[in-house]
Amino acid sequence: MNENATSEPIIQVRDLEVSYGDFKVLKGVSFDVMRGETFVILGGSGCGKSTLLRNLVGLMRPAAGRILINGQDFTAMSDNDRMEIRKRMGMCFQGSALFGSMTVGDNVALPLREHTKLEESTIDIMTKIKLELVGLGGFEGFMPSELSGGMKKRAGLARAMAMDPKMIFYDEPSAGLDPIVAAGLDMLIRKMQSTFNLTSIVVTHEMSSVELIADRVCFLKNGEVVAIGTREEIAASGHPFVQQFMARRPEDEGSDREDYLRSLTGA
Amino acid sequence: MTAFVGTTGRLALNSLYAVARVCVLVVDTLQWAFVAPLRGKGLRVRSTIEQFVEIGVNSLPIVLLITFLIGAIMAMQSSYQLARFGATRYIANLVGVAALRELAPLMTAILITGRSGSAITAEIGTMKVAEEIDALEVMGLNPTKFLVVPKFLAMMMAVPCVTVLAMLSMIIGGFALTTVVIGLDASMYIEQTAGALVPKDLVTGMVKSVFFALTISWVGVYRGFQVEGGAEGVGKRTTSSVVTSIFLIIIVDLIFTVLFYFV
Repeated sequence: MNENATSEPIIQVRDLEVSYGDFKVLKGVSFDVMRGETFVILGGSGCGKSTLLRNLVGLMRPAAGRILINGQDFTAMSDNDRMEIRKRMGMCFQGSALFGSMTVGDNVALPLREHTKLEESTIDIMTKIKLELVGLGGFEGFMPSELSGGMKKRAGLARAMAMDPKMIFYDEPSAGLDPIVAAGLDMLIRKMQSTFNLTSIVVTHEMSSVELIADRVCFLKNGEVVAIGTREEIAASGHPFVQQFMARRPEDEGSDREDYLRSLTGA
Repeated sequence: MTAFVGTTGRLALNSLYAVARVCVLVVDTLQWAFVAPLRGKGLRVRSTIEQFVEIGVNSLPIVLLITFLIGAIMAMQSSYQLARFGATRYIANLVGVAALRELAPLMTAILITGRSGSAITAEIGTMKVAEEIDALEVMGLNPTKFLVVPKFLAMMMAVPCVTVLAMLSMIIGGFALTTVVIGLDASMYIEQTAGALVPKDLVTGMVKSVFFALTISWVGVYRGFQVEGGAEGVGKRTTSSVVTSIFLIIIVDLIFTVLFYFV
């Protein structure tokens, strides 16, 4: 268990509802994230977990509900205030989202160049430190296209850490990586957490990541929270979906046979 | 019947929605290009200069070559008719006036659409697909300020500059063909050209080129932000960016030609 975790909420989500057209993706999601903990949002493909993350960082506006960050309503604030809060946030994208037209070093330096009035020499040193931190020392001059998938994600993490954020969001950090590289990235998440006393929010579908990094887990299914708590509490919960997910049992298709046939024939 | 009404209504709503989104984009761009810098929010000067070089300077060879050739073609075609009346000296008037009022601005705009309008759409589209636009926003960097404004300002400066040079190149093209092939006296050609052109011709061409630049940049940016899906989406939107842009350029051209006819 992480000794930095507190019981003071930093993010509070209340009755969040999001829809694409008529399709409801999130149906009244509520939870708290405590300062200093690693909070994992877990769920199958298409359960709305990426949508939830996009709402948390303000890339999407919810149809209903509220998101409070440090007690301030993130969904209702002005664009300027939102920009200020974002400078205290870091995000690692699923595909790293490094700017392809810039070197790795410039990618990491970008937030510092844009948001601070630091000397160029200071920015250089800070860029080197951040890259060193993720194990990419000496790669400043490389273009993102010259890096492997795992290295890109590390570089993305270095860029997310550039402004020394208080909160960091990870979208599927281990997606598309082999188990060894993925485990390395999980260890890095853990290291960032303990060194900088960050609050981390991780969206994933990997049970192995959960075991390595999670303080608390939020289980999402069809846009609803089905279980929330520490790993032990989740494992002990009797919810059939959670049990099925952890045992990696496939969806039972037999019962829908009639429906399936009907959908084919259109009757 | 209801299907027809429904389709028409949906079509109307969608186009209204598109117009609204273009308006938001336009207001946002103008805001970040002209209002925000005065409030100390900064302008990305270096990026603007880089874009100016890419859109303006780098397009010069092809634009000047093509306008030179079109000038020559026009001279040849008009001599075909004018020679019958023994009025070949009026080739100079025809080429000069057509170049300034119409062909140089139009050809420049179409070539820059193909070179840079498509590049703007492809760049923004690829960035959107790769979540780079999202990354900018999460970092607290406004995509309009960061991406759109430098391209917009560069385009607004580059297109008129290139247009002036294209006008010159087209007249030189006409001059070269008329003197070398048709055998008209060089000094007479220059005299005729100088006599035929009035300041209003230049103004007409320049006003058009400014509005062409607006069209190319906004269509390019708008189509870029519309990109969805993967590489296929980028390709589709890039094509439609060029087609829409050239179509709107012709419409704008028509409007201003009619306007200047009466003014």
